[in-house]
Amino acid sequence: MKKLTLPENFDYKNIDILKQFITETGKIIPARVSGITAPEQRKLTKAVKIARFLALIPYTDKQI
Amino acid sequence: MNHYELTLILNPDLASKFDPYKEHFESILSQLGFNIHYCENVGIRELAYTIGINKKGHYLIYQLDGDPANINELETKIKYDNSVIRHLVLKTDTVTESDSFLTQDTKEAKKRAEERAHEAKLKAQVQQHPKPTPSAIKEDENSSEEKKDESPKGEEESSTIEENSEKTESENEEQS
Repeated sequence: MKKLTLPENFDYKNIDILKQFITETGKIIPARVSGITAPEQRKLTKAVKIARFLALIPYTDKQI
Repeated sequence: MNHYELTLILNPDLASKFDPYKEHFESILSQLGFNIHYCENVGIRELAYTIGINKKGHYLIYQLDGDPANINELETKIKYDNSVIRHLVLKTDTVTESDSFLTQDTKEAKKRAEERAHEAKLKAQVQQHPKPTPSAIKEDENSSEEKKDESPKGEEESSTIEENSEKTESENEEQS
């Protein structure tokens, strides 16, 4: 997998960035695969979970 | 005093009632002592999954300043508001006074949808007013032309192959 970079300032509204770090089924890609640092991964996880709650990105691909 | 970011997903069926609703909601905010720094009207977006029966939602993002003691009261008011299908209050360090990526993304999605609708309309118009006789004739002509086009090409190819074979034969003779 190509190494991805996470910009410094991002939040749950930047769904174009978040979508790079989730799989087709909506799972968060592990940091050891994406290559981002642990603090970055912690920020990313929070942002993804907020975006999911606000129906900006799906929890799974089974939801209609 | 703390900075807050309040995100609301409103019922998309509000439509014409949206502006009066927004004014009403902002009056509630000011009553509770919240200072509105910025209001981002994202617009109607497709939800990633259905919430209740809603497949679309009108997103509104407020940047607020206010007393933490009033947050609970605000949340209860939102909770019993039927036009809000989902809400989230986040405590933030700084106040951003500009539109986020979401607004831009929603506008682009709207444009794409309009273009698609326009194309579909054009297609429907073509189907509604078909000219069966001339178009059918044209198609027939085209197909016959294509066949004609194909046949000479085949001949040319075969002729070139023959030429090549002749050349090779002559070359072989020369070599021998």
